Amino acid sequence: MPMETKTLIGKDVPRTDGRAKATGQAIYADDIKLPGMLYGKLLRSPLPHARILSIDTRRAAAMPGVRCVITGQDIPRVTYGNWRLFPGTQDEYALAMDKVRFIGDEVAAVAAVDRETAQAAIEQIYVEYEELPGVFDVDASLATGAPVVHDTSPTNISIDRKIAYGDIEAGFAASDYVREDTFTVHAVSHAYMEPCACVAQSDLDGRITLWTSTQTPYIVQCLLASTMNMRENDIRVIKPAVGGGFGGKMELRPWEFCAAFMARKTGRPVKFTLTREEELAFGRRRHPMTIHSKVGFKNDGTLVAKDLHIYLDGGAYNAMGPTATFLSGNFGAMLYRYPSYRYLGEHVYTNKPPASAMRGFGAPQTLFAAETQMNIAAEELGIDPIQIRLKNAMVSGDELPGVATISSCGFVESLKEVRRISGWSRKRKNLKTGRGVGIGCYSFISGGVFNWFNTQYPFSAAEVRAFDDGTVHLLSMASDIGQGSDTVLKQILAETLGLKMEDIRLTAADTAMTPQADLGTWGSRVTLMAGNAVLDAANKIKERLAGAVSARYNLNVIFDIEFADGRVYAAGKPDRGMTFGEAVAFVQKTQRGEPLVARGSYTPRGKGLVSPAFSFGAQVAEVTVDTDTGQIQVEKMWTAHDCGTVLNPMAVEGQLEGSVQMGLGYALSEQFVMDGGKTLNTTFLDYKMPNAADMPPGESVCIDTFEPEGPMGAKEAGEGLASPTAPAIAEAVFHATGYRCKDLPITPEKVLKGLGKL
Amino acid sequence: MPAAQFDYIAPTTVDEAVAALVNGGKDTRVMAGGTDLIVKIRHRMLFPTCIVNLKRIAGLDAISVDKKNGLTIGATALLADVAANKGIRRHYPTVAEAAGATANVQVRNMGTVVGNLCNASPSADNAPTLMAMGATVDIAGPSGGRSMPLDQFFQGPGVTALETGEIVIAVRVPPPPAGSGTAYHSLSQRGKLDCSAVGVGTMIVLNDDQCTDARIIVGACAPVPMRTRAAEKMLIGKRMTDTLIRQAAQTASEETSPITDVRASASYRWKMVAVLAIRALTDARQMALRKSTSK
Ligand SMILES: Cc1cc2nc3c(=O)[nH]c(=O)nc-3n(C[C@H](O)[C@H](O)[C@H](O)COP(=O)(O)OP(=O)(O)OC[C@H]3O[C@@H](n4cnc5c(N)ncnc54)[C@H](O)[C@@H]3O)c2cc1C
Repeated sequence: MPMETKTLIGKDVPRTDGRAKATGQAIYADDIKLPGMLYGKLLRSPLPHARILSIDTRRAAAMPGVRCVITGQDIPRVTYGNWRLFPGTQDEYALAMDKVRFIGDEVAAVAAVDRETAQAAIEQIYVEYEELPGVFDVDASLATGAPVVHDTSPTNISIDRKIAYGDIEAGFAASDYVREDTFTVHAVSHAYMEPCACVAQSDLDGRITLWTSTQTPYIVQCLLASTMNMRENDIRVIKPAVGGGFGGKMELRPWEFCAAFMARKTGRPVKFTLTREEELAFGRRRHPMTIHSKVGFKNDGTLVAKDLHIYLDGGAYNAMGPTATFLSGNFGAMLYRYPSYRYLGEHVYTNKPPASAMRGFGAPQTLFAAETQMNIAAEELGIDPIQIRLKNAMVSGDELPGVATISSCGFVESLKEVRRISGWSRKRKNLKTGRGVGIGCYSFISGGVFNWFNTQYPFSAAEVRAFDDGTVHLLSMASDIGQGSDTVLKQILAETLGLKMEDIRLTAADTAMTPQADLGTWGSRVTLMAGNAVLDAANKIKERLAGAVSARYNLNVIFDIEFADGRVYAAGKPDRGMTFGEAVAFVQKTQRGEPLVARGSYTPRGKGLVSPAFSFGAQVAEVTVDTDTGQIQVEKMWTAHDCGTVLNPMAVEGQLEGSVQMGLGYALSEQFVMDGGKTLNTTFLDYKMPNAADMPPGESVCIDTFEPEGPMGAKEAGEGLASPTAPAIAEAVFHATGYRCKDLPITPEKVLKGLGKL
Repeated sequence: MPAAQFDYIAPTTVDEAVAALVNGGKDTRVMAGGTDLIVKIRHRMLFPTCIVNLKRIAGLDAISVDKKNGLTIGATALLADVAANKGIRRHYPTVAEAAGATANVQVRNMGTVVGNLCNASPSADNAPTLMAMGATVDIAGPSGGRSMPLDQFFQGPGVTALETGEIVIAVRVPPPPAGSGTAYHSLSQRGKLDCSAVGVGTMIVLNDDQCTDARIIVGACAPVPMRTRAAEKMLIGKRMTDTLIRQAAQTASEETSPITDVRASASYRWKMVAVLAIRALTDARQMALRKSTSK
């Protein structure tokens, strides 16, 4: 595809939702108000582990203004969970049946005429608990005789995953240098700006419409149907504007169920809006992990073997833990060529809020360990950290046996570029105490292949309707949750059809109106998968319009037909053509009024088990450390990364900056302060998310690669970048002070302890 | 959170405000910027039945810098105004710095210095410097006006010496003595905009290089912003050498009784009191020396 002819791809096309969001006109779930709407509120468990002996809702139900009170006894006894392919992993009820397993576990729900009444009613529900001993970390959970969180998993290990290839024992035997470390990483919050909210409405036939702040309307539709004992087609899920998700909004959640269930019971719409405190105290979070890693090298830095064992602290339910368990093993094998590799991942239940998917989906944890260990090895082998990476870096065409093929890879180029733009070689030589540079790298998936949800539809689908006024209507279930996919999908379509952005009407993420189906926004899948589906539909439209022009001008069949500037014409002969709208009218005439519509889809096939395409990148951090207070200031970040064709540079830059912000928090300041199962810091005052003033300046370079499986050569840019920041900062802190952190976050107190000053 | 329900009164004189407080009873709350108060209500830590907003009272936001009478900061003077005030920056630079280091732009444009004091958080960023400089608060109440030194004003976390019906109308700082130097250093976990985990404010007075007076106030390491008198005593009457500063800082640290909370551990706070006290005393000494040479 000749790049120079592109008019929209590769351009800083502004976000189509930017204006609505900046002016406050974008409609989020909590903005929706329907006549007669009730307000819902959840009663949550105050105990981390307890049996429910009785629930008395009579006082609450009798309060004026209260329209509905439900508990686990009122709802179908159907469990749910995203791993539909393995029903045994589906371990959650919308409301607790007989046991609560974490502080915040949903026990009852109220719908009332206003929020105040709902809150007051919640406080009038009396639950009698029999408290049970709890387990709050992996060690306690795995100890013999430990309390069992779910009877179905007597060991408290809910799922495990093994990967093995090459001869690992021989590999270690042949190694000159073997390094073994244990890393621990902590939970952090998605901290999306929009707390979860939804509104459910039931029509006279009992069909449900649910507006919800979700990344996965299709998954919510299906799981809501099964938990309500309804048919999928009787449930319509609409995603309004969503203020971020980062993995925290990709499952059916209790408030969605309760809104729908109570809307059906009362005949009135029901809204739930969570508070920030609920989100921080009880919400999903990133998996804490204990990572044992053993690597073997030759003296010259060549990798020989890796043995990785990870315990994921899953909290009280599986949530997206099985996928994180699965993917962590893959991320552990990425970036470098490991001739032999073994992985065991075990997902452990504890009595804490469930961990789930979060930007990077196992990669930030696994790569913090892998990249830190690589930096340790470089130090001990006396090799420059970038040099040792170049020696082992994956390249295009590499294969993970039985798992994946790397069809495009700009890792080597990323390493070289980041070395250049950061002035690495000069800065690395500076041994001044208190100032240092460090590197971290990443590879990430562009969507998942493994069909754990067991969808019966294509992974992504698109429908394009063309009109004789020169416009098109794109319908897609892909979910823009703030990452900008609506803009990019329109760009792909407009570019392909030779139209302008404003010629495209988009209907997105409405399960009753947009084509079946789309697995949602996670795993950095949307640009590649939905982009391919849009491209597929667009190409079918093009085929028809090209035929029309060809027939109209009696063109030789060898002619190419061009689509540009709203016109369709014979290549090199612009006069033999017509406007896009005229061509549509022509096709419509040939089919006696039938509109011109095409469907496209994408499902990865023959792409192994993990992902159709992989991104790569390298990042350098420069820090100053105050060695008296332990405070770390990140002075600058340099990034070079390969996301395939850059469809929209401004959008990629936005993802990069957001990733650095999240990476900073993960590395330095964000953590949940826990007392057993209780989260103590439940506001942004005490949950230390970096803010604008904390952002370091940055510089970045996109490596030019072309991914054959991606739309127009593109792959992911949304999540991979969340991984390199923490290891880069950790290494820079080591370079600055000699303190090596293997236990995130790198707090001032840890730095001082590491320096022997505390 | 459900919206709280309360009456709202915006008087235009101090007398009306005092009357409203007296009439409203104990669940009536004064509001200046509301940046502490409203947050507490939203978090259901306070359930006032009535709120009395001071911001409509004409002149209450006045700031005056006077050679003889010193500095007066009215009850509704904004943190942003104090941080930007030319006279304060010139003659009370640390007072301006502390106000400018409190919270973020939005909060500084709403919140007040006096509100920061009346909120009586042990970590209040404006308290240590003002205490070190010997500030007093002017109070209006049902039985007339009174003044009290700021270091007697704080009684415990969230508790002040104010009686029912009383409001602070201004905080006053005497003119800085000749040869004085001040400094405030604070630390928090999240870079620039954050509540302090530790803060140290100081004023020292030098006569040649003899220290003739010293005050060291430590924030966030005791139930109230705390004077470390033993450390102060160590300095007075002596040459303020680096060694002496380090010893006094260590003593200051030993005088405090920090706790472990979600923001920092006690042992870290102890350590940081010493580090920050060294920095504050060193900076204050430098300012004092600079002032005496420029005389
Ligand atoms: C995001 C954020 C960040 C913050 N960061 C910081 C920080 O870095 N450092 C820091 O010290 N604080 C910080 N704060 C706390 C707060 O902003 C400050 O304490 C501020 O100075 C309070 O002033 P105000 O005018 O808003 O007080 P208000 O909220 O109006 O009042 C605070 C309390 O004092 C009482 N009160 C107010 N004025 C009077 C008066 N004249 N007489 C009697 N009682 C009175 C009120 O009844 C109330 O109890 C932060 C707050 C937020 C929301």
